Amino acid sequence: MFDVKLVEGKEILLFGRFDAAQVEKAKSIFDAVNGSTIVDFKDLQYISSAGLGVLLMTQKRLSESGHVLKLVNLNKHIRDVFAYSGLDRVFEIM
Amino acid sequence: MEKEFKREMQSLEKIFQFIREFASANYLDESISFPISLVAEELFTNMLKYNPEGKHNVTINLNKDNDKVAIVLIDHSIHAFDITKTEYVDVDQPLHKRKIGGIGIHLVKNMVDEIDYQFIDGMSKITLIKYLER
Repeated sequence: MFDVKLVEGKEILLFGRFDAAQVEKAKSIFDAVNGSTIVDFKDLQYISSAGLGVLLMTQKRLSESGHVLKLVNLNKHIRDVFAYSGLDRVFEIM
Repeated sequence: MEKEFKREMQSLEKIFQFIREFASANYLDESISFPISLVAEELFTNMLKYNPEGKHNVTINLNKDNDKVAIVLIDHSIHAFDITKTEYVDVDQPLHKRKIGGIGIHLVKNMVDEIDYQFIDGMSKITLIKYLER
């Protein structure tokens, strides 16, 4: 089970498990943002490299216009995934 | 516990359910079930990606033995794909140099304690060991 919602164009909420089968669903939302955006992981239990790819692709695109994704409320296991991939140094994680 | 899974992305949810059942039966918490799920997903999707002509189901075997869990994935393939010999991934590169993709096997290597790969008579067998307390 995975869901993703864009709230007022400035915040993305993630729910459930962000695995490789959810990439297209997630991209439909992430591709729609054009400014700095908060991504709330509060209700996300799991992410794999496929989910990281969507986030990284968006971060690269936004950085070209001086914008960023800010990631909030990551659980310990998801923080570990970001640390192992070095993406904790690519994203602002709060 | 052992189960076969069809070579399709929709199998992921069934794989996760299989892992949940294994974790529940063995009283394993999220600190173990999370990395098991991640390595199973990364390796299963890798098998779909690099062996698209494969016709056999992928077999996943999970076993707990005292202080460790063994995760075994078996695929039938024409070519060997030894994940223990994949290229080094530089995770310290800045954003503009980071590639999309290619991080999955790197994560697998960080999530488990031991990895063994065997390719015998067209069968790829990946065995991963995760220690419960280390």
